[in-house]
Amino acid sequence: MANYYDIDDILVEEEFVPLVFHKAVNGVKVDESIEKSYIAQGSKLELPFWLAHELHLRQAVSISAPACFNQKTRLEIQADAACVDLRSRCLYFYKFGCKLAPLCDKTIGFLLAYAFGLRYKEVLHKAHTVAFTAASKFLSRLTKEETNLYEAAQSSMMSFKKWRMGGPRLHRAAILGRKRKVDE
Amino acid sequence: MYARKGYELVKDFASGEKGQLQHFNEELFNQVVDQCTQHYTELEALIRKMQEESVDVRETRNADHYGALIHHLSLIRNKRCLMAYVYNRAEIIRNLAWNVGLELLELPEEIQEKFSDSEKTYFGKHSAALQSYMADLDIDLNVDMVPPKDPYIKVRVLHDMGEGILLSDKTANLARHSMHFLKRTDAEQYIARGLMEELTG
Repeated sequence: MANYYDIDDILVEEEFVPLVFHKAVNGVKVDESIEKSYIAQGSKLELPFWLAHELHLRQAVSISAPACFNQKTRLEIQADAACVDLRSRCLYFYKFGCKLAPLCDKTIGFLLAYAFGLRYKEVLHKAHTVAFTAASKFLSRLTKEETNLYEAAQSSMMSFKKWRMGGPRLHRAAILGRKRKVDE
Repeated sequence: MYARKGYELVKDFASGEKGQLQHFNEELFNQVVDQCTQHYTELEALIRKMQEESVDVRETRNADHYGALIHHLSLIRNKRCLMAYVYNRAEIIRNLAWNVGLELLELPEEIQEKFSDSEKTYFGKHSAALQSYMADLDIDLNVDMVPPKDPYIKVRVLHDMGEGILLSDKTANLARHSMHFLKRTDAEQYIARGLMEELTG
């Protein structure tokens, strides 16, 4: 596994997907509130992606597209991709989509490419123009991947400005966190 | 829920600011380990049940097999979460050694508190390895990569650092708000720790 230690990768795989069991399963309690520890054949459940994926490989379940890739979202993205609040639907919309596409619905791929193409332009544009105070409303719509791009664009602009204006080379190590006000 | 604790642990790590250390979450960490044990006992119970029913554990694909499989996968998932947590913290700790200081006591106290015991040992050993490597090469590797235009820089002291601090070419009285003209290599470590700032122009 290439990104075994990747924090984001672990978080993506915790997203829930709806699935149908083709096999009965014993000794497993999916919900703490339910007494019986048995899953009957044909029952419909929502499980995290990492588990669903492994079970899918063994042909024990079939996966269907989760709510964040439903028809409603698709229509909204077609209407105006840049204005859709993807963050509330799925924090890792693109990564999750990439992992999911080969398992249940190949058309997710086109959806992702289309949405990203339009939204990327918007993100890049806003990163250079929007004032910090006005950005929070816009930032709350972005997925984690888009937020990373936004921050990258801003930090590259800052480095450019610093290079042009000059300034002290040595700084407090960023790893120590933000500078606290020196107590007087 | 299956392997839920591991996810909570990783989430706890991700909620902090990027690249900065948080307190080692001993409690949650132990809960994940407990959950692993729980999954393991249930896995064992299912396998034993299959053996008692004298079915072939390797070949049969019955309800018990899939139950055991889910417990097995949950174990692996929790393991991955634990490993990722420790690994990513170790990376930050190595960065601290490179960027701030090679001695544990040189680090600010609020950072030291965040280490677990084994992380303190790790930090010490990593620093020792770095130091011996740098001694072999006879070169200081954790200084600024860009060659300076002037070996001396002007600095202002931000914290009271005491009198008679030994620098490479003199001893200085580094009182707060005082300004000094120091050798860049001497000043670098203090600037990195936020005790001084560089003045330009």
